[in-house]
Amino acid sequence: MTVLNRETFLTNLADNLGRPRRITGVERPTWSVQPQWDVYQHLSSDELIDILEKQCQVIHTDFKRTDRASLEQVLRKVIEGYNGQSIVAANDPRNKEFGLQVLFSRLMEEGKEVHVWDSKLEKDNITFAERADVGITFSDITLAESGTVTLFNNRYNGRSISLLPKTYIAIIPKETIVQRMTQAAKQIHDANQQGNDVASCVSFITGPSNSADIEMNLIVGVHGPIQVTYIVVD
Amino acid sequence: MNVSLFITCLCDIFSTNVGKDTVEILERVGCEVDFPELQTCCGQPAYNSGYVKESKEAMKQMMRAFKHSEYVVGPSGSCVGMLREYPEVFKGDVVWEEEAKALAEKSYELTQFLVDVLGIVDVGSTFKGKVTYHPSCHMTRILGVKDAPKALLNNIEGVKLIELPVAEDCCGFGGTFAVKNAAISEQMVSEKSQHVSETGAEYLVGGDMGCLFNIGGRMAREGKQVEVVHITEILNYQK
Amino acid sequence: MSVRIGNAPFDERVQHGIENDFMRKAVSSAQGRFRSQKQAAATELGNWEDWRTLGEEIRSHTLENIDYYLQQLSDEVSKRGGKVFFAQTAEEANTYIQHVIQEKDAKKIVKSKSMVTEEIGLNHALEEVGAEVVETDLGEWILQLDEDPPSHIVTPALHKDRGQIRKTFAEKKGYDKSDTPEELGLFAREQLRKDFLRADIGITGCNFAVAESGAVTLVTNEGNARLVTALPDTQITVMGMERLVPTWEDLEVMVSLLTRSAVGQKLTSYVTSITGTRLEDEVDGPEEFHLVILDNGRSKILGTEFQAALHCIRCASCINACPVYRHIGGHAYGSIYPGPIGAVLTPLLDGYDEHKELPYASSLCGACTEACPVKIPLHEMLIRHRQIIVEKEKKYPVAEKAMMKGYAKWASSPAAYKLSTKVARPSLKLWTKDETITNGPGPLKGWTNSRHFPAPSKKSFRAWYKEREKGAKSE
Repeated sequence: MTVLNRETFLTNLADNLGRPRRITGVERPTWSVQPQWDVYQHLSSDELIDILEKQCQVIHTDFKRTDRASLEQVLRKVIEGYNGQSIVAANDPRNKEFGLQVLFSRLMEEGKEVHVWDSKLEKDNITFAERADVGITFSDITLAESGTVTLFNNRYNGRSISLLPKTYIAIIPKETIVQRMTQAAKQIHDANQQGNDVASCVSFITGPSNSADIEMNLIVGVHGPIQVTYIVVD
Repeated sequence: MNVSLFITCLCDIFSTNVGKDTVEILERVGCEVDFPELQTCCGQPAYNSGYVKESKEAMKQMMRAFKHSEYVVGPSGSCVGMLREYPEVFKGDVVWEEEAKALAEKSYELTQFLVDVLGIVDVGSTFKGKVTYHPSCHMTRILGVKDAPKALLNNIEGVKLIELPVAEDCCGFGGTFAVKNAAISEQMVSEKSQHVSETGAEYLVGGDMGCLFNIGGRMAREGKQVEVVHITEILNYQK
Repeated sequence: MSVRIGNAPFDERVQHGIENDFMRKAVSSAQGRFRSQKQAAATELGNWEDWRTLGEEIRSHTLENIDYYLQQLSDEVSKRGGKVFFAQTAEEANTYIQHVIQEKDAKKIVKSKSMVTEEIGLNHALEEVGAEVVETDLGEWILQLDEDPPSHIVTPALHKDRGQIRKTFAEKKGYDKSDTPEELGLFAREQLRKDFLRADIGITGCNFAVAESGAVTLVTNEGNARLVTALPDTQITVMGMERLVPTWEDLEVMVSLLTRSAVGQKLTSYVTSITGTRLEDEVDGPEEFHLVILDNGRSKILGTEFQAALHCIRCASCINACPVYRHIGGHAYGSIYPGPIGAVLTPLLDGYDEHKELPYASSLCGACTEACPVKIPLHEMLIRHRQIIVEKEKKYPVAEKAMMKGYAKWASSPAAYKLSTKVARPSLKLWTKDETITNGPGPLKGWTNSRHFPAPSKKSFRAWYKEREKGAKSE
């Protein structure tokens, strides 16, 4: 049994609600207001990028914008800025498409350590990520309003990559940018409706980790990355 | 327009002037004012303390008192707020629910009545001075009257209205709260008094006598010189 | 175990809070910041009231169909390899979790901040079976080292200053650096990172579970919840049974309301949704996942006039808006749930006996109701509690009851009322000087201890009005 004590528990709830158990046939009503769809509804994708850029200041995140041709150069600069000697990256098909693979080989030639997530190596991935200077992933959906990158973590994109290293770089293909979390949630909801299982971990990441637990003073960088850069690629 | 004055028990017993001013203001703007003598207290002291059964006795008396009134207008956001709650209190009561609705629908706080019903923002006051306004909690949050008192004050030429810091914070009155949790209430009213002092105003103006007794009583105890007045006293100033 | 903290009587707790100058300054400035940040975040949306309406509708629909959605949730979690345990009581939840600990022979457990595990006293239960528990939220860690309960549900160590924190770190962990928040924070990062890497089990609470897919969502800024769910091989999530939403679309709305209301952020640094166990060939994330769904008194609230209290999303905006909380602090409430929502929830979860003062610890100013992002009528619920305490529980002071009976007679009899308007002044004459009462009798004493009280007017309004009418007629 993987579900325990359910029947008595749920029957008790129905009893307290004064009606029989509801097992099927519950539909969500159409909500009387749906303001979430109005946010930035009419903005163009370039305007959304402006919103994202502005929001990056609020969330203590460096913002870069470039095109595919220059991505390698921009990314290299950011890594150097983080004094990145060791780099862990997701094993994303876009690595090749966006030229990251080439950069990684060059960096290795220059004596840097670059580890691309490899599930066959099991926990060694985590060990590497823990001592890496920089973690790099692509964003799957990017939320302009909040400055959030969404990652569908899986066997190619471990949760640790964007979490354990001191610094984190998210590559944001322009076409992943949407208004806000509303659009991302709908995408996940729709996929789920169609029978596609959601990722075992969906990470919505908004800048570096922080805390205000000591006298309400903002400390940037607590358990997760201390510095974060977003690179938007046209 | 026929208006029945709802004096509120506090003003009836402790602040005759507020009642006089209310009558005179209403008459000046052309209302026919009457005072139904059967009125007592709105029931709030008992209701808010959990004595609902006892409070309903008071509420029924109020419904009897104002049964034939066209409009019921009173100089208190809190007490009028209570009248507006009657339908909820008597929900499902076959005898009283309709009466409760009728009273709630025709009851207004004075500034609300002037501005929202009559559309008047200038009542011809000649008051002069630096004032700050405390928006009492029930006036703003229960009754939803936020702008009317300020609109009226701002239309008096001699009035310089200074914003009260953190104005929306409760002064610590809360009816029986001030007595039952006197220690907490004291902290709240001290803070309010401090905020009033910070404005440098000569007058603290409000629309609820309970809150004004509380703040005024504290400021007097602290030996502060600010004069605490009900808004009707400002609006009816004619010298 | 229960929501209760401390044993001191209410008045003593309140006095203790009032006398704690540091705490009051800290709370006051925190409230100021929280409020202005929230205000800015809400204003920016332009239609905050619509958002609140939507939030209320979603919560209300979910609670009305909670059995349906919990069934769906547990089915989905189970499909994704998770084990679900429905616990009626705190004891059942703790015992189940103890079994998991023992079965895994777990020595070290890392936890991310969770109010519900505070509620059931889980840490104590874990220590009973010999496991070492480490709280990993910075504020919670400070409190754990200091053996102090939380005083706020979002920033639990709000009542402590940097000097106290430095001292705690020095005494308990050998810290020898400055008291700047950055250095203190960095120290916590280094210390706790070791714990994350060695932990056998991670325990989390749950902000919202998504019924349609079985995802458990955690909302944090520090990233500790991500570490707790990424590194240990076993994850246990404890959720209050009401902490769920039907779909991802609803999740999104609730998260937006939560982060804005709690800290004025559009989203917190991390919103992490975990579904079941890690999949084949995945390296991080748990290989074993347990979801414990807790009742612990919540079901008694269903179907009552307090049902909407279960809509709470633990954002603390009522706490941040509350002037009473500002002056007495969280500990004065004697419950892990302080402030207005605490005053509403605590008696419901733990009975009136120990908490009958809480519903009165409010001036009914309504700031809480106005602040609540899901429109829980908090101050009205406090009045309902008072009514129950008086009419059902009969836990009133005898003198008060007598006074209220007298009130009913007075206010329902125009004659008695009219008489009182005449005798009020003479009957207070003994205490009156210069139209002021500075040392009143009976119940007035609480008032006049710190404030003057006015003497009744020389002539009541109704007496004046009568004379005026007569004058008008005789003219």
